[in-house]
Amino acid sequence: MHNITLSFRLNGTDYTVETSAEKRMLDVLRNDLGLTGTKEGCGVGECGACTVVLNGEAVTSCLVLAGQMQGADIMTIEGMSETQIGSILQDCFVEGDAIQCGFCTPGFIMSAYALLLKNPHPTREEIREAVAGNLCRCTGYKPIVNAIEQAGLRLSQS
Amino acid sequence: MEFQSYQKPATLDEALAALRTAHQPLLLAGGTDVLVNAREEHRYQDRSVIDIYGLPELTGITETERELIIGAGVTHAQIAASPLVRAHCGVLSAACNTVGSLQIRNHATIGGNIANASPAADSLAALAILGAEVEIARGGQTLRLPLSDVIARPYRTTLEERDLILRVIVQKLPAGCRYNFYKLGRRRALAISRMTIATALCVDDHGVVTFFSMTMGATFPKPLVFPEINAMLTGKKPTDEDIAAVAKALSDKIPEIAGIRASTKYKQPVCRNLCERILKQLLGGESHA
Repeated sequence: MHNITLSFRLNGTDYTVETSAEKRMLDVLRNDLGLTGTKEGCGVGECGACTVVLNGEAVTSCLVLAGQMQGADIMTIEGMSETQIGSILQDCFVEGDAIQCGFCTPGFIMSAYALLLKNPHPTREEIREAVAGNLCRCTGYKPIVNAIEQAGLRLSQS
Repeated sequence: MEFQSYQKPATLDEALAALRTAHQPLLLAGGTDVLVNAREEHRYQDRSVIDIYGLPELTGITETERELIIGAGVTHAQIAASPLVRAHCGVLSAACNTVGSLQIRNHATIGGNIANASPAADSLAALAILGAEVEIARGGQTLRLPLSDVIARPYRTTLEERDLILRVIVQKLPAGCRYNFYKLGRRRALAISRMTIATALCVDDHGVVTFFSMTMGATFPKPLVFPEINAMLTGKKPTDEDIAAVAKALSDKIPEIAGIRASTKYKQPVCRNLCERILKQLLGGESHA
């Protein structure tokens, strides 16, 4: 074990955590902090279920080493309802039936959140590109893309 | 992942100092390859990890009159979005935009892509036609080596244990150059490339080619360009026969260099057809698709 102390901002709150340097960011979130909204699917960056937003960019937290959380500003699904974009996304996903089993949903929401942070009025093509690294096996992509498109529209009206 | 020790230096000097003394050092930048490999049990258990992600000296893209200088720690997403890269080396911006998914592109670095030396790395064919060189810190010196001298064969570089990639330098394309980056994979996102084709071509007002460079990636053991093939169009107003000759010459390199493999029967005609199609598009005035 190689213990390290990490200080970072997570969902708007400052944290200091002592953990093993051998862990992935995903393990720190789920096991050290009990934030199990971020899911592990493939563990190799293929499925996007573990997507979080690190310093404003969507990343797969299974491929980020714990030490890289030092000093970072991190957003996960648990912080979403407290943000304007996240709250609108939540409404649009629920109303648009964009969730079936829900396992991929946190990852999709985080990819969509990162997109809307930078580009509040994305085209359908831009949405598809932004979530191309997120796999869904049961809901189907159309309602998900529709929900994100709807969120963009509502964001521009609010 | 399992390793011997972990340190995260705050400056390049600290990183180089750590690299001089560490036992079996393993440099980790974005980590998107290392963390996948680390799933193999005990793969890195004896290694001293030096985490260089985010080192300020390795970030940023600058230009000289003829070159772009890209920090080794610049991510693929940053290269894809960079106005400088788009203006002068659009083919590299397009290539970096096809890597993995957005989540990977946001974290994986160009230096890491070179150090990992995957034969299917999407940046490599584009870097090759841009005459890329790699700046390396080695034993207190700074060396500048051609990319094709740094990558030896699939997953093997000529880098020494205590080397650190500082920068990647590419030649700017002539103004008004058309380019194309084609990726052949099983699906658009997250596909391991079966073949990539990088092309840059300049034509003057009379339709005469003034600059031409084209090569394939995920095809040869290391990034290669072929000056004799690039010379086939320069100074000409290419006819269909000229285009067919270039496509044949490039596809003939597959068995010549990589040998006859199970995939050759597929790759050779596909390469020939794609090269013809891309050249016709570019000569017809279409730039990057």
